[in-house]
Order: sequence, then C-alpha cells, then structure tokens
Amino acid sequence: MSVVAAILWKDLVTEWRSRDRAVAMAVFALLVVIVLHFALPAGRADELRRLAPGLLWITYLFAAILGLNRAFALELENEALSGLALAPADRGFVFLGKAAANFVILGAVQAVAGVFFGLAFGVDLLAVAAPLAAVIALGSLGICSVGTLFSAVSVRTRYREVMLPLLLLPLLVPVLIGAVEASAGLVESGVLRWRPLQLLIVTDAVFLIVSFLGFEFVLDE
Amino acid sequence: MGALQASTIERAAVRGRLPSGIALGLLTAAWLVAVARAPLDSVQGVLQKILYVHPPLAFAAYLGFGLAALGGALFLWRGDEAYDRLARSAAEVGVLFCTLVVVTGPIWARGTWGRWWSWDPRLTVTLLLWFVYLAYLLLRAFTEGSERSARFAAVYGIAGLAVIPLNYYAIDLAGGRSMHPQNLESGSLGPGMGWPFLLGVGVALLAFAHLLARRIEVESLRARLAERLARAPRGPESSDPEGGPWAT
Amino acid sequence: MSSIRVEARGLEKRFGPLVALAGVDLEVPAASVLAIVGPNGAGKTTLLRILAGLARPSAGSVRVGDQRRDRRAARGVVGYIGHATFLYPALSARENLLFAARLYGVADPAGRARVLLAEQGLDAVAERPAGSFSRGLAQRLAIARGLVHDPEVVLLDEPFTGLDPGSALQLARRIQRLRADGRAIVLVTHDLAQAAALADRAVVLLRGRVVHASERASAAELESAWRAHLGGA
Repeated sequence: MSVVAAILWKDLVTEWRSRDRAVAMAVFALLVVIVLHFALPAGRADELRRLAPGLLWITYLFAAILGLNRAFALELENEALSGLALAPADRGFVFLGKAAANFVILGAVQAVAGVFFGLAFGVDLLAVAAPLAAVIALGSLGICSVGTLFSAVSVRTRYREVMLPLLLLPLLVPVLIGAVEASAGLVESGVLRWRPLQLLIVTDAVFLIVSFLGFEFVLDE
Repeated sequence: MGALQASTIERAAVRGRLPSGIALGLLTAAWLVAVARAPLDSVQGVLQKILYVHPPLAFAAYLGFGLAALGGALFLWRGDEAYDRLARSAAEVGVLFCTLVVVTGPIWARGTWGRWWSWDPRLTVTLLLWFVYLAYLLLRAFTEGSERSARFAAVYGIAGLAVIPLNYYAIDLAGGRSMHPQNLESGSLGPGMGWPFLLGVGVALLAFAHLLARRIEVESLRARLAERLARAPRGPESSDPEGGPWAT
Repeated sequence: MSSIRVEARGLEKRFGPLVALAGVDLEVPAASVLAIVGPNGAGKTTLLRILAGLARPSAGSVRVGDQRRDRRAARGVVGYIGHATFLYPALSARENLLFAARLYGVADPAGRARVLLAEQGLDAVAERPAGSFSRGLAQRLAIARGLVHDPEVVLLDEPFTGLDPGSALQLARRIQRLRADGRAIVLVTHDLAQAAALADRAVVLLRGRVVHASERASAAELESAWRAHLGGA
C-alpha cells in the first residue's frame, strides 16, 4: 500500500510543480463549455436544464481523456515506465497509485469546470453540490480505472493519443449513461435516483477489478 | 514447446475441414429450402424472413467476441500462442458477423417501420460491440511487437466482454425505443417458423465455426513455417539487420 | 548454497515468426562479472529483460538469487541499470531516490536516499531537479537508483553509452566495486574493450544463441570471435 502512496505522491508533486496537465485540462474543459453553448440554439431555461447533465459529462469526458493521455506520457521520458515495471511491487498497486493521481487531478478540473458550466448554462449546480459530487466521483472512478489501464496500453502503440479514445469510449458507455441519468435526476428534481447509481457502482467495481488484475500484463515488456 | 505443439483446437480445426465444409453446404441448402417454404407474415411480408438471418448472425457475433476474450484470457494465463491465434481468429471472423447484424437490422427496420435507425436497445448494444471489435482489431494492428500486441489485445478483450452485460443494463436504463419484435421475448414463434429459425441458427454457428477453423489453420501453418525457418541452418550473411525484432 | 547467483537453462523467447532467444544457457557466480556482447538484434536486451523479471520466457528456466518461479520476488533481488535512467525530471535527485526506495519497499527510505547520495557524491546536487543533470551526473543517479534495494544481482544494459571518458572510468570503477561487494553482475555492452577489461567471463550472443564463451578474454580475442561468427553459419 505504501507503493500506492508513493506513486500518488510522486504524480501529485510532479503535477503541482508544473501544473501543465491540470491547466491544460481545465482550459480545454472551459473551451468545450463555450463551444457547446454556441453550438446549441438559444433555448428556454427548462430545456437547458434537461440537456445540462449530458453536456456536463461530455465536457468531463473530453477533459479526462486529455488528462489520461498525459498521465503516461510523463512516464515515457527516461523510460520511467520500465522503472515501475521492474519494481517487485504488486502491479495492481502501481495501477491504484496512478489511477488515484488521475482521479485527484480530474476531480480538481471537474470542480472548476462544473462551476463555470453552471454559470454558462444558468443551471444551479450548487444547490445539489453534495450528492452531485458523489455522482461525479463515481463517474470519475469508472473513467479513471479503465482509463488508466488503457492509457498505459495506448501510450505504447503507434498512434498513442488517438488510440485512447478509440479504446475507451465503447467501454465508457455504461459509466456515461449512469452518470448522466443520476445527474439528471439531481438537476431536474433534486432526487438521487437509485438505478443509475447502482449501474455506476457495479460498473466501477467491474472496471476496478479488471484494471487491477490486467495491469500486471500491461506492464510486462 | 513452441508453436509446433498445436493445441487440440488447432488439430481439430485442420482435420475437420472437409466434414465441416460438407455439413455447412448441406445445412445451408436445407435452410434455404425451409426459408423458402416458411409462411409469409401477414403484416411484414417477405421482410419478416430476416428473422432467419439476423438473430442467428447475432448469436455468432457474440460467440465470436466471447471466444476472443476467452482465448485472450487463456493466453495470459498459460502463455501458449495457440490461444492468441484463437482469439485473433475469433475476433476477425466475429467482426464480420457483427457487421452483418448491424446491417441487416436497419434493413428490416426500414422496410417495416420506415426508419433506418431508431436506437433500439439490442441493436445499439450490438453496435457498441462492433465498436469494441473495431478497437480490438485496431489495437492489434497498431501495437508494435506481436507478443505485446497479443497481451494488450487480451486485456482489452476481457474488458470488452465485461462491458457487454453492463451495456445492456445501461441502454435499458437510458430507455431506447425497442423496435425488436416482441415475439422473441415471449419465446414463441409462429407456426412453421421453428424449423427455418433453428436451421438458421445452425447455419450461422456452423459457418462461424468453419470460418474460424480456416482462419486458425492459416495462422497455425504460418507459425509452424516460421518456426521451421527459424530452426533451419543459416547460410553466410553479409550483415546483420539493424535493430532486431525485440529492439526498442 | 551454490555461489551461482544467476542461472539460465535453455532460455527461449519466441512469438510467431520472431525468435529473440533460441536456447541460452548462463551461469553467473557471486562476485563476478559476465559480459554479453553481440550485434543489434542478437537478443541481448531480451535476455536481460527476462533476467530482470520484465518478461516471461517461452521456454527454459531462469533462477535469479533464490527465486525461480516467482518473477515478482526475483525483481526484488535484481538491480537494473540501462541506458535509460528511469528518472523523473521534475523531481530532485533526493526525491527520485526516495521514490525508488519506497517503490522497492526499502526500510527507512529517507535514510537510504541520504546514504546513496553520499556514496555517489551527489550531495551537492541533491535538491536539483534530475532533468537538469548532465548525462554523467544522471548516470550516477541512475546507478544509485538501481542499487536502492541493495540487490545481489546487478544487470547493466549498455551503461557506457554516451559517457565521456571521465564518467566511463568512474563507471568502470563502480562496477569493480560492486563485484568486490560480492554481487553477481551481468554487463551487456557494445564496447569490447570494456568487456575485456571488466569481465571474468564473456559470451558472444548472436541471433539468440551463445556462440562463444571464454574466461578473461582479451579485447582482440572477443573481436575475432565476433567477426568469425558474423561471417559464418
């Protein structure tokens, strides 16, 4: 477990010193929000509120993929990834450390983007901030688990950055649907619906297990 | 060890070539006859006969991915290349069947409901499976190093398989309008539809197995040839290639 | 307990049409250096990766230290120093060592980092980010990192690449000290002179096979062996 802490510490310290990943993700998220705003025809407030959850998660998803691509790019310098592979630590823990770092950084970006989104679309997200944060956390857990696993894969293919969304998006449909439906319930009526939450929890559990076990084979040379 | 020790699957695939080919031919003939003689649906007309094509193809498409994932898992566990050949072949044949499913579905929908696509749950999940297939094959194609490619694909295959039931639940939650004929749920086909349907399933599965076996055969022959070449004594070479197969 | 710390029997690594190793036997006793030389594509890096526990062999057995089957435990007794440094440029030298120590589960990581920095003469640059280091300095830090868990087996993959003569001399001395410490060392190198100078035993690897092995060979001997096999069957 100290391996998890060590990797989490290393990634967060590295990120804190340069802040390039988080800033890039945040700026990108804000740009997506602005583009979405212009892409949609001007509508009534209740129409926007219906669309808002989906648009919010599109924003989060794109920002996440950008961030995940960067996560292992920094391990390629000096072949640091091999350095991780050489360690006698259980590779599942290496995965947890990386995924946790991704989760924290994504979370920070999501908070900033969420506030901006609420302002841009005139949707009061703060009223349901606590349960919404829980839903966002569950969604991010799903994204960061298989996202971390397959960004370690895609970074060693010929078309690195392009490969990740191709691999990830078909897998993330349950996460997306669960998160959007749960967020929609909160935004429209302040109610936390059980069925999408259940879908998120089950999906997260499955993805965490597959990623934890699969990372062993992904780090081999 | 090595590729020369073919797994029982591969041996069966090679030996079964003629029998399965003949059986496939006969079964297809029988199926065509049964389909021709099947009663015409009063509402949908001839188009309804896609029932004898579309669901059987779907069974094969899902079976294909299941085998790809299973082959990958066995490869990760045992390290025997034959399992990777099985996985790769199953994916290549399966994607063909999956494509046919995703194409025949809208054909039926257009003819019956007037719309090509309607986000029907079952068809949508199959479309997502198609994308998973595609990602799987692209991953194999774009990874350098065949062993690495096999390992990566195996992990993706397992993730892709795990996501299928999740997708069904998710799409159901999202509430797509189902356009699939309900009689399939209740499990009762009309009179005279049983035989052509069963034969259709048989043809699809047998066709899948036959094509899979052919594909495996090609791959295993390739592997054996390569192994024989590798073990053969070499003549004098003027220079060694820059960067071997495992050089990074 | 035998003094052979690394033992490989019939190691093969193949996949599909590609054969990286076609049956390699090796023995490395404690307190000795085995040099592996060979052209590109001979399988040297693959062999080292298998010894390091980074890859599974297709056939054959490998024993590293006391570990035969458990690759993960084997990684715990092996130190790997390649021509890539495995360093994080944004972290300081001390932080890099601290991280490596925690990764390897070393007791008292901070203390170990301090000791290693002193050993390699890196105290002056301990707080500077590793990304600012010259090649020689980075190499020294990489060596410290490779030894963070005090491994009994040390694998070196072309460590002299890109080093100026001063740093190369320091590295050679370092290897001799590691050998004197009782470690079993495997050195993969293109540099026949270094191989001859440092090695107790040397093997020539060609197309995945050991084609020549000798004790205390001279550089000239290695060179002629290499040339002979490159031209023949």
